[in-house]
Amino acid sequence: MSVDENMLMAFADGELSGAERDEVEAALEQDASLRGKLAAHQRLRARLSAAFDGALDEPVPARLAEAAEPRAADVVNLAERRAARWSALKWGAMAACVIFGVFVGIGVMNNDPPLMESESNGLVARGALATALDTQLASEQAGAVRIGLSFRAQDGRYCRTFDLTEGATAGLACRDADRWNVMMTMANAVGGEVRMAGAPPEVLAAVEAIIVGEPLDARGEAAAREANWRR
Amino acid sequence: MTSATDQTRSDIAAMLPRLRRFARALTGQMTDADDIVQIAVERALTRIDQYQAGTQLDSWMFSIVRNAWIDEARSRTRRGKVFAPAELGEQVGNDGEAEMHTKLEADDVWVAMRKLPDEQREAVALVCVEGLAYRKAAETLGVPIGTLTSRLARGRDALQVMLGGAQ
Repeated sequence: MSVDENMLMAFADGELSGAERDEVEAALEQDASLRGKLAAHQRLRARLSAAFDGALDEPVPARLAEAAEPRAADVVNLAERRAARWSALKWGAMAACVIFGVFVGIGVMNNDPPLMESESNGLVARGALATALDTQLASEQAGAVRIGLSFRAQDGRYCRTFDLTEGATAGLACRDADRWNVMMTMANAVGGEVRMAGAPPEVLAAVEAIIVGEPLDARGEAAAREANWRR
Repeated sequence: MTSATDQTRSDIAAMLPRLRRFARALTGQMTDADDIVQIAVERALTRIDQYQAGTQLDSWMFSIVRNAWIDEARSRTRRGKVFAPAELGEQVGNDGEAEMHTKLEADDVWVAMRKLPDEQREAVALVCVEGLAYRKAAETLGVPIGTLTSRLARGRDALQVMLGGAQ
């Protein structure tokens, strides 16, 4: 049978269009057990709606409505904070440019060890970045480096996404024998705690292109660290 | 700039019912749900300058609610109390409301959702409860789309088993 469980689920969730949807519809016409499975998906969604949709009809508690209410006093504060943040961002961006200069080997004028260095076979993580990639778990409080997803790539290497909290830079690094090869970096304009969970879309797309299976969960991540990220 | 901020604030206010629904599916607890929605709204407003107009406000807010819950669950684990239903009950103002909370939380679907691993519950809550498209749900959670769909499939299977084919 050409329609598998995932395809049926995607159909039930309205994710299919065109030829794929036609294919599922044709299969449904011929296959009663497939119709039964679709009905089970629909019943489950209906039960989930029934269980949680009540929140949409209930009055919102005052404490929540007040938390969201625009207040004149706050607007001023926010404007001030925004101004402060803008200058921080600008400094961050300038610092990032300087750091990038360092990455590619000009770094003699800076006392801090560079976070990346260019070698014959590409960019390699150094300093705090290398340490974080080696030892830091995604669940741990971030210092200069925040670790996102850890996973296995198709070539068997362990890879990890990261972002640099100061330089507004996100990236992806994969473990070679004794080093972390930085596969990509990019400006991550929306940094900070309230960014989207994990990496920016461009980094996620790179992950998607090379990942095998799922990202490591907390236990898998700890085990891989224990094994020193060896394949 | 002020008007854009006000607009975003009123958009967030209009989302409150959905944020509460999502938080209930995520936490499986009535009081926890409202607590993390409040935390999330406060966080969002103090960092409203990080929100970029034109991007998806609902994904942004859902991801803040989800992060607030992760933080809360983590700090509870640190304090060594994962669930404290009795204590939660005490915070509730009146008996009628407490009774309604207890009744809802005891619903089969709520119980089953609480038993799911966090990763599966997040996926189910965003797609099956909130109706997000796979792509958007994956972005909200910061995972590749294939990861989202496999968590979703496993979560659904587990719910079907627990709820007896969801009859």
